[in-house]
Amino acid sequence: MRHILLGAVAALGLTVAPALAEYPEKDIQGVIQWGAGGSTDTVMRAVTPHAEKLLGRSVVMTNRTGGVGVIATKFVQSQDADGYTLLMSAENPQIYKVMGLADTDYSDFIPISVLARGVPLIVANNDAPYNTFAEFVAYAQANPGKVRIGSTGPGGVPSVVTAMLTTQVELPVTAVPYDGDGPALTALQGGAIDVMPAVLGAAIEHVRAGRMKVLALIDTVENPALPGIAPITAEYPGFGDYLPWGPFFGVFVKKGTPEDAVAKLRAAYQAAAEEADFKALMDGRGFKLMNISGAEAEAFLAKWQSVTSWLVFDAGIAKHSPEDFGIPRP
Amino acid sequence: MEQAFAYFTIAWLDPSLLLLVAAGTFAGIYIGAIPGLSVTMAVSILISFTFSWEVNDALCLMVGIFMGGVYGGSRTAILLNIPGAPSAIATALDGYPLAQKGEAGQAIGIATVMSVIGGFLGILVLAIAAPVVSDFALTFQPRDYMLLGVLGILLVGSLSGESLAKGVMAGALGMLIGAVGLDPLTAQERFTFGIVELWNGISFIAVMIGLFGVSEALAQLHHLDKAAVRQQVSKIVPSFSAIRKYLPLSLQTSGIGVIIGALPGTGGDIAALMAYDHAKRVVKDPEVPFGQGAKEGLVAPETANNAAVGGAFIPMLTLGIPGDAVTAIMIGALYIHGLNPGPMLMIDRPEMFWFMVGNLTLANVFLLIFGLTGIRLFTKIVECPRGVLIPLILLLSVVGAYAVNNSVSDVYWMLGFGVLGYFMKIYGYQVGPVILGVILSRLIDENWRRAIISERESLPDFFLNLIASPLSAVLLLAVVLIFVSQTPLWPRRRSPR
Repeated sequence: MRHILLGAVAALGLTVAPALAEYPEKDIQGVIQWGAGGSTDTVMRAVTPHAEKLLGRSVVMTNRTGGVGVIATKFVQSQDADGYTLLMSAENPQIYKVMGLADTDYSDFIPISVLARGVPLIVANNDAPYNTFAEFVAYAQANPGKVRIGSTGPGGVPSVVTAMLTTQVELPVTAVPYDGDGPALTALQGGAIDVMPAVLGAAIEHVRAGRMKVLALIDTVENPALPGIAPITAEYPGFGDYLPWGPFFGVFVKKGTPEDAVAKLRAAYQAAAEEADFKALMDGRGFKLMNISGAEAEAFLAKWQSVTSWLVFDAGIAKHSPEDFGIPRP
Repeated sequence: MEQAFAYFTIAWLDPSLLLLVAAGTFAGIYIGAIPGLSVTMAVSILISFTFSWEVNDALCLMVGIFMGGVYGGSRTAILLNIPGAPSAIATALDGYPLAQKGEAGQAIGIATVMSVIGGFLGILVLAIAAPVVSDFALTFQPRDYMLLGVLGILLVGSLSGESLAKGVMAGALGMLIGAVGLDPLTAQERFTFGIVELWNGISFIAVMIGLFGVSEALAQLHHLDKAAVRQQVSKIVPSFSAIRKYLPLSLQTSGIGVIIGALPGTGGDIAALMAYDHAKRVVKDPEVPFGQGAKEGLVAPETANNAAVGGAFIPMLTLGIPGDAVTAIMIGALYIHGLNPGPMLMIDRPEMFWFMVGNLTLANVFLLIFGLTGIRLFTKIVECPRGVLIPLILLLSVVGAYAVNNSVSDVYWMLGFGVLGYFMKIYGYQVGPVILGVILSRLIDENWRRAIISERESLPDFFLNLIASPLSAVLLLAVVLIFVSQTPLWPRRRSPR
């Protein structure tokens, strides 16, 4: 009996093996790390329909939120490395180790495409008695603790930007945590906080309407969306060590996924990200299109991890030293 | 003005848009009625589904689903005691007792008409006062949200049934459940015992389905052989005089709904509960006591949660700030379709505002039509033999709990809370305060701490600003008055009955 069963299994294996070469032979599952309506969700739901056309199969997307994205990341890791489960995620896993959130990061995954990067800004309430970054720093130093700066919790983008600022200038401010940059920017307009480090895309419409003012552009070059605003490196070249820096979005598969599946997914997502309407969306939301994969993406991810891990560690918000995980200082 | 009217009627005059609003509203009613399937989920799936469509088509469908879904939650709340959505929790409190008396048809009829009235009032405020209301909503500081939360917690008094002590106990349990997960401010783990699945807290929908639906199914097992209640199906549409009688109350509760809906930190669920509490306070002599099938207890939450829809669009269309979870996703949809929702939207795309107002109005008209047809068929559900109905409720509960996060652990939570709710019922504890505690614990926790951090941890500054700001002072006064009015210090004007 056992022999017959084994024979049957072997026969099944023989018939399945050639079919596997034709990736994808069934629908693909896309696991979005953040909730519906967030920027990760919007980006993934905009790019994936184009990729589906090239793959010839549906990519069924579900939001699996929670634990700063750890739950989705761990879920994809628990699935087979067969290319049928995609992790659609943001920058967060790169600091899970130092923040003590999880023992994984993107070195356990293969980047299909790092799609785009956000550009951080420092914006302020219109009534604030300072109009430039230098004036803001002087005011904060003259009134220690008086300026309330928005944050999204330790390890969030605003906390990293604030940590970056404090490497170059002394900044005695009070950080007030919010649920995300959206609620924090709302609070900024209501005067509950005075200053907020936010990504350009989240703030740009409010800036255009004159409801908040820009103190600094945290980048090395001027941005077409903000003509006339000099990058922060013009006045403080020291920031050049960390920049360009920003939150990013990408599609990943588990390490060990077969080459042909990775190649097909890469081709599909790379072409999808070049579609005109996706580019327009990225421009509209103020993201820099990157669309990189392979060694280029891995180098970007490694640099990002090194810069950010050391920033949060030096600012005292990390639980573990990057040294423990062999992350080199930038 | 003529221009505005032309934009307003875009969807009314285009047959395909008209059909999309109708289809959306129809689908929304059923999505809303099934616990676990939420409008938020439906709209986010629609983003990829409608990706290649024209933006107007996509928006018509989404608006229909939003309007229909908020109303649809009342269906299962009335018929099965399972609120289809958090905003229908208060509806179940008086709706289900009505169904038990054989008046499910009338209950659905009045819920429908009142939802539509609330919806229209919300849209009216959106149309005439959007900029004023959104500026007002922005002035709410963390301490004001905290006071709103405290005001909400006082509702425990209305929801505790036979014993206030038991109500407070249940409310405290709810606040404990709400505290589980990563601390929203510092990301510290609270009551998680190192389990990653608990980082996001216990799914509030799973708690709701368990405490309401499963516990009711378990309680019904005691009367398995009792014949089902015959439902009267005449007089489904409420009479004009009945509507006129509830009109003053519905105006007040719609007002509550619009404001709470327009606040970026609160949504239809809190609006409906606050409206229910308001009704309980202002309606002195209901024909039937609250909690046993008072019509006022249906009127208040149903007007408020549909008025909150119009409210949620106020900050979204004027400032690009979402008023609730659904409008947050719609903002994402606008981006994908190449628009830039923000304060400039009304200048860049002036047609968008009136187009949306027109869609909402249209969806509300369809709501009245679809809501009032098919009630007879729906009430048949309650007439099913219990041996058929109870397994169906349990199945629906399992599917609903799983669908929220595609997570099996939510199903276990749901079952666990079902058993807990069953024993709570036996020992005279109400489940309403638990849900209230879960909803409000985070609002109070976050905003109290945010407020005190903003004052650089100085208590004197905090209390000074509490009195110095007119808005905070009014809210504080409301909290104090409601509290004192429940104590012996309050002079009783009415003679005891």
